Amino acid sequence: MRTLLRRNEFYLFLVIVVFSLAITIVNPAFFTIENMFDLMRSSAGMAILAVGFFVVLLSGGIDISFPAVACVAQYITVNAIIALGIDNIWLAFAIASAIGIAFGAANAFFISYFRIPTLIVTLATMNLFHGAMLEFVGTKAINAGQLPSAFKSFGLADVLSLQRADGSTYGLSVFFLVLVGVVLVTWVILRYTVLGRVIYAMGGNLEAVKRSGFNIRRTQFFIYCYAGLLASIMGVIYVSLIRFSSSSVIIDSELLHVIAAVILGGASIMGGSGTLTGTLLGVVMISILEKNLVLLGLSNFVQQFFVGLIIVLGVSITHIQKQIRNRRSLTLVRE
Amino acid sequence: MADLFLEARRISKAYEGVQALDDVSLTIGRGEVHCLVGENGSGKSTLIKCIGGVVNPDSGQIVINGRAHEHLQAIDAIREGIQIIYQDLSLYPNVTVAENISLNQFVERRASFVNWNEVRSIAARGLAEIEEDIALEALAQDLSVAKRQIVAITRSLTQGAKLIIMDEPTSAITREDVDHLFSVIARLKQKGISTLFISHKLSEVFEIADAVTIIRDGRKVGDYARGELDDKKLTYLMTGRTIEYSPYRFPPEKKQSAPLLEVRSLSRQGHFRDVSFSLWAGEILGLTGLIGSGRTELALALFGLNAPDSGEILLDGSPVRIGSPEDAVRLGIGYLPEDRLTQGLFIGQSIGDNIIITVLKKLLGFLRLLNPRKIKSTQEGWLSDLKIKAPSARVRAWSLSGGNQQRVVLAKWLATKPRVFILDGPTIGIDIASKSTIHEIIRSLAEQGMAILLISDEIPEILHNCNRVLVMRGGRLEKEMPDAAAVGEAEMLSLVSGKVSNGTAAT
Repeated sequence: MRTLLRRNEFYLFLVIVVFSLAITIVNPAFFTIENMFDLMRSSAGMAILAVGFFVVLLSGGIDISFPAVACVAQYITVNAIIALGIDNIWLAFAIASAIGIAFGAANAFFISYFRIPTLIVTLATMNLFHGAMLEFVGTKAINAGQLPSAFKSFGLADVLSLQRADGSTYGLSVFFLVLVGVVLVTWVILRYTVLGRVIYAMGGNLEAVKRSGFNIRRTQFFIYCYAGLLASIMGVIYVSLIRFSSSSVIIDSELLHVIAAVILGGASIMGGSGTLTGTLLGVVMISILEKNLVLLGLSNFVQQFFVGLIIVLGVSITHIQKQIRNRRSLTLVRE
Repeated sequence: MADLFLEARRISKAYEGVQALDDVSLTIGRGEVHCLVGENGSGKSTLIKCIGGVVNPDSGQIVINGRAHEHLQAIDAIREGIQIIYQDLSLYPNVTVAENISLNQFVERRASFVNWNEVRSIAARGLAEIEEDIALEALAQDLSVAKRQIVAITRSLTQGAKLIIMDEPTSAITREDVDHLFSVIARLKQKGISTLFISHKLSEVFEIADAVTIIRDGRKVGDYARGELDDKKLTYLMTGRTIEYSPYRFPPEKKQSAPLLEVRSLSRQGHFRDVSFSLWAGEILGLTGLIGSGRTELALALFGLNAPDSGEILLDGSPVRIGSPEDAVRLGIGYLPEDRLTQGLFIGQSIGDNIIITVLKKLLGFLRLLNPRKIKSTQEGWLSDLKIKAPSARVRAWSLSGGNQQRVVLAKWLATKPRVFILDGPTIGIDIASKSTIHEIIRSLAEQGMAILLISDEIPEILHNCNRVLVMRGGRLEKEMPDAAAVGEAEMLSLVSGKVSNGTAAT
């Protein structure tokens, strides 16, 4: 099974390579460092959301409130920064993180104390958070001119600058560093902490984790707060990228793409299995689809079709695997 | 056993007015293998939960290593070395064997980080200690139930178990695996680790127990040394009544007519080869063999769930094609599956709905809508015919005891009025009293002219209920025994396992 999953990732990698080659043939500009950097800049946010979604999925839960958390976090943060007059990106991250963690804690509260199915809880809180913000904070969009400069300069900051032939420069966005940080931290948690291993175990057999004496409630708070935190970080990155803040960004565009990416990466919708590498490869694949189908002469609707298809197939495969396992136990062929 | 490890003193516990345990005491010595025997609902589970600190008794004490606990907590029980292995084994299916064994230890230590070398070394040491060899990197979900059990035992061991409590560990594994499990228990015993073993199967109790405690209706019947009990006495003490077995007689003159079902050199690659047999109406034909011998695979083929590659099946002398369960039901073949919980019942639905699911088409009335009156009479008819103990047809299947659940599955199939009824392990996990009721039902069905194919692991069950027995091994029909009553258990065992009996082969 584990080798099979590795193989899944390998195949996904192959598909990405083949797909990239196909695009490159049509448009040689695709396979350039500049375009890769661009792709990185535009999809770092989605990757961060995917990591958060993956962690929740792994534990056997599902959190679909992340686009709402990201949206609310960025909008409140931008408004707060304007109101406070302290134009600092660190402060922005601090405010957004506090919001994200608070929302995550709210999710965890309903999930752990009332034992409501996670999908239902987050479906409800998604509307609760967003609706409350629309009502109490407002709906006025903040355009590039009004946006505090900290966001704008963060969005333009590069960790690595290269020169084009004509002397102008392009670079690798600082978002890359944020993403690397998020991935590293998550990887260490999942691989080397007891908490991380318990997240895997919860996805496999929640009842057994309870019997082992582990504090499930604390773990659930961690999981949902962490997902909230990552969503809020994405919110700040998103505003910095598009230099525009409104009360309705992210909500519609990211949800299904992120779910598709994580499932494509081999994570089981039932929890307990999947890898970070797979998740990141899934994000790469979806991002390429999202931005480059037009290059192949296909309409953007095809992309929507693909995203739907991936989710349906991904979920079906999980169920087929389960059926095969059931059948194995039915015919009782040993080992 | 002079050296006492645990004593449960006068434990009583009531749930919502029902006295689950009433003044029950139990002692377990160091290295002792103790069997706790009782029917479903007798209070066994409550007692082990009290010992494990999972449930707090209303009165009584648990004394461990000479220290008395009034309110034993689960965590204290674990620290004192009491480990409970529940029937579901509490493993994590999606992680490796090594992690399954070691993770709880890190949790218990309140460690923040896992050390992978240590995870593997703990697991390797644990497995070595009971001389088992299971790949550390294998996922638990890919192991057989028997191996998963070994993983669970190893986990208990590495957590410093002094007493391992196993809740019906043999209900889901083969005879061969049971033998293996017993050898593991014997190794634990040598290390001074006690086992409290809960079982329904009497032969196992005699095989393994140093001492037996019997409880009935929440009260202790008594403590017995192994030598003091035999089958009959144990059954009597457990159920409060004697259950007599007399072999099933199939009048030979009925065999004059043509067989109802005939199977001719049926084969399926990797499952079974060249199987031929006949089944007469009114017969109870036993089919036994180890898991993997092809018995269940063969049964599934007869029910259209496992298409054979070659050979033919004849019903009333004419060849039939059974491509799906629908075909089988139409031809009058019923199949009671081995695992009633997942394959036999809609566990979350009412027992009434479970019963009528196979005959919905017969219950249509006006405008081809379901007719509530017909439904009700069908349901009530079966509840009373099979003496299913339930307040009404509306109670959910999960709330019934194993024996009553199985009767619901029986009713569901009998409602289709099968002429050939295949029963695969009809009494797995069912206590003795209910077992004998199910056996009686099977007999009376045969007497009314149904042809029965009874598949079972339990040799006494086969010998006591069938008039003729088929033994399968390695996919082939090993032997046919025309008179079950004339066969001894030991002889049967050696046939099934393919090992030559050497006097002590039964153990």
